[in-house]
Amino acid sequence: MDFVILSLAILAIGIYGLLTNRNLLKAFISIELIAIAATLNFVTLSSAAGVGLGQAFLVLAFSTDTAVSAVILALLVIVSRKYGTGDLRQILKMESKEESEEAETDGDD
Amino acid sequence: MILEILSIGLIVSACLALFLDEAVYSVAALAGTFLFTALIYAVDGAIFVAIFQFAVGVGTLTILFLSGELLSEKSVRKTSPNKTLALIAGGVVLSLPALFLSISGSTSAGVNITFGNGLWNLNGMDAVLQGLVILTVALGIVIVLYEKRSGGK
Repeated sequence: MDFVILSLAILAIGIYGLLTNRNLLKAFISIELIAIAATLNFVTLSSAAGVGLGQAFLVLAFSTDTAVSAVILALLVIVSRKYGTGDLRQILKMESKEESEEAETDGDD
Repeated sequence: MILEILSIGLIVSACLALFLDEAVYSVAALAGTFLFTALIYAVDGAIFVAIFQFAVGVGTLTILFLSGELLSEKSVRKTSPNKTLALIAGGVVLSLPALFLSISGSTSAGVNITFGNGLWNLNGMDAVLQGLVILTVALGIVIVLYEKRSGGK
């Protein structure tokens, strides 16, 4: 049983999901999985080495991770409410359409 | 044996969380991922970290359940049972290397140093973190320069 390989597997799943999924919620879940993969190493390696410092680091990492998650989720909700969809490609299309319309109105002025 | 079962559960629930189509089921699978992680920490002897992970997980999942419906498409198709079974099988296959391979044993340097000891006691963690910081800074600079270049055109 090797926790480094386990965390590598979770990291790979998270990165794959981040690259392939178009849904904002799935992107957020991918980021959470990457964070889990990172924090898993802290506990297992520090336990293997007999150093308790890793657990202290982990509590700090959890706090940071939670704050980051809250900010990401708030941004996702704002974007989702503004564009009415959670699909990243549709949001990008709408954004580029808005930009082109703004450029046209600026050209008319 | 318990750790192996928990590891398989962790990978399977991670796969389900990412690839199930319904948002609620996906968040429920993420709850399983958090739970399995907390149990692995507890079995590994890090009780306080397990409690902390559980508390943080509960908070995150509460918010995710509330916002999951908002962030997901209304007309999403149902996940077929075959796809769910394939995801579970894929998760089990992905967890096999962690069960049967090992890179945490003695290093090839010949001395009696394990991977964890090397990271924590021989400043290996410093080197890894410094490398990650430099890599992140380099990536950030590349992205900023690319945005500036494409924005200027």
